[in-house]
Amino acid sequence: MTWLIWRQHRTEVCVLGLLVGMFGIALLVLGTQAHELFPGGPARCAGEAGMNEACAASFRRLDEEYGYVENLLAAFYLVPVVIGAFLGAPLLARELEDGTWQLAWTQAVPRMRWLAAKLVALAGVTVALTGMFTAVLTWFRQPFDAWEGRFQYDAFDLEGLVPPAYALFAFGVATAAGAILRRSLPAFGVAFGAFLAARMSVGLLARPAYATPLTTMEPVGVGGSTDRPVPGFADWMIEHGYADATGRRLSWTEYYELEDAANRAGTNLNQFLHARGIQQFGVYHPADRFWTFQLIEAALFLAVAAVLIGVVVWRVRRRMI
Amino acid sequence: MTATEFALRTDGVGKRYRKGWALRDCTLALPAGGVIALVGPNGAGKTTLLRLVVGLLAPSTGTVEVLGHDVTASTPQTLSRVGFLAQDHPLYKRFTVAEMLRFGRACNLRFDQGLAERRLAKLGIPLDRRAGTLSGGQQAQVALALALAKRPDLLVLDEPVASLDPLARHEFLQVLMGAVAEGGVTVLFSSHVVHELERVCDHLVVLNNGRVTLTGDIDTLLAEHRLLVGPRTATDLDRAGTVVEAVHSDRHTTLLVRDGAIPAAPGWQAQPVALEDLVLAYLRRPSEPSAAVTPEVAA
Repeated sequence: MTWLIWRQHRTEVCVLGLLVGMFGIALLVLGTQAHELFPGGPARCAGEAGMNEACAASFRRLDEEYGYVENLLAAFYLVPVVIGAFLGAPLLARELEDGTWQLAWTQAVPRMRWLAAKLVALAGVTVALTGMFTAVLTWFRQPFDAWEGRFQYDAFDLEGLVPPAYALFAFGVATAAGAILRRSLPAFGVAFGAFLAARMSVGLLARPAYATPLTTMEPVGVGGSTDRPVPGFADWMIEHGYADATGRRLSWTEYYELEDAANRAGTNLNQFLHARGIQQFGVYHPADRFWTFQLIEAALFLAVAAVLIGVVVWRVRRRMI
Repeated sequence: MTATEFALRTDGVGKRYRKGWALRDCTLALPAGGVIALVGPNGAGKTTLLRLVVGLLAPSTGTVEVLGHDVTASTPQTLSRVGFLAQDHPLYKRFTVAEMLRFGRACNLRFDQGLAERRLAKLGIPLDRRAGTLSGGQQAQVALALALAKRPDLLVLDEPVASLDPLARHEFLQVLMGAVAEGGVTVLFSSHVVHELERVCDHLVVLNNGRVTLTGDIDTLLAEHRLLVGPRTATDLDRAGTVVEAVHSDRHTTLLVRDGAIPAAPGWQAQPVALEDLVLAYLRRPSEPSAAVTPEVAA
């Protein structure tokens, strides 16, 4: 079986391996240069950036020289779906398209053994390729993460445990769609669409609700305030705004009315707000929840992937194909 | 060995797809040894029946027993006793012929690589060519060599020659019949071409609209049936045994009867019936279950 699986899927595995290798090496080269800006390590430097001029300069240079790479990383959102769907879609669909399922399942290897071997091998390649790429990317982003935190969409979605889970989800969708549609290309399309839909709805709606967010509330200072009234830069701000002295949150309309009133009175806005006891609030998830959230999101996608693989196994077992 | 005296036994087998029944109430007992032809028009359910036999599909009703074993409990042992050549003889198009043989060796218990190589060498099919670049006839031969190298006890072929030109068809049947002559393999194949069957087959199953309308040993079937020709009449048919089909021309009536004596009335003659006419007569019969028992008079 090992030889057969390799022979049938070597093209996909080689193409994906080549792509992952190329992008991985590019990131390693650029990442080594970026890391060299921080002789003491980016994490330590981030803590001292306020007082250490050299560190602040390093982060400025990082932004100037490698900021463009960071922006390009957004394209790697699609790496898990490309890997997972490219390996999953032809698993059954190509056999069904070419009629070779009738050849494969009438040899002496029972179909369930055949299916188990294929699923384990190709899911394994999916996890290995996505995992390797994610490891390189996570390392590459270390200096950026030290500065910006890991909860933003361009960090959380590309790092740690979730990309291999996304890839297995895409693999599951593509395999199940291939079994039902009996065609590779439509199965790939379905996996792509399902991936985008699931990622967007989970990222925007489900992820903020994995835990109860914390709230900070502090009066507006006379001297002014930052845009983001958060204790730490690495925390994940979900919502922020203004509240009155009793702690009632103001709508943005109410806030703009206050701003207009300050303008009409000709006073400094911060002094105006401070005098009325207006407070700034922030709703956020602290940075140390990163791994908890990674685990929850990975488990979510893995569970769906397991259900989809279950559907495939069930269909093959019941000889519905 | 009473259990394996039958190559294939089905009991009340039916297969229902989403669109409806492809096969109903199929009860067969086919002897081991020899060549069995499964005949029927397109859409009669031949492919469904063959896929049930090799375990690619599970029956919706009834049981399928191949060489004494329930096929749905497919183990490597039972699978290796049955060879299957699907319609259009699918191969992995991008594999070379040698790789197809390696596939056979990797996926079977008693794959006879030497046998396959000898067969292909005799046919002049190079091992280093990709399967997809071979001609249709050569692809069919590679698929057949693979199936035979499994050394199956039952070889099932779905329309094996339908897509081949006359020359390739002849060569294919020659190789197939040679293999039958060599060893005790039972062959079950489907076809919608009726002529040529008499030469190669021992046993016949006629399938129409998802139902078995005729099954039996070909010699016995031919001996049991005869054509009766006499003056045109629509009465007194009861005496003529089971009338399979009645054809009336202006002056004559031709009856195809099973187990029938010649009517006592004057002017009646009996003739043997050709296999093709016999099959066509059964295929023309409406396939309602009631019609199968009541003699039917067709105009």
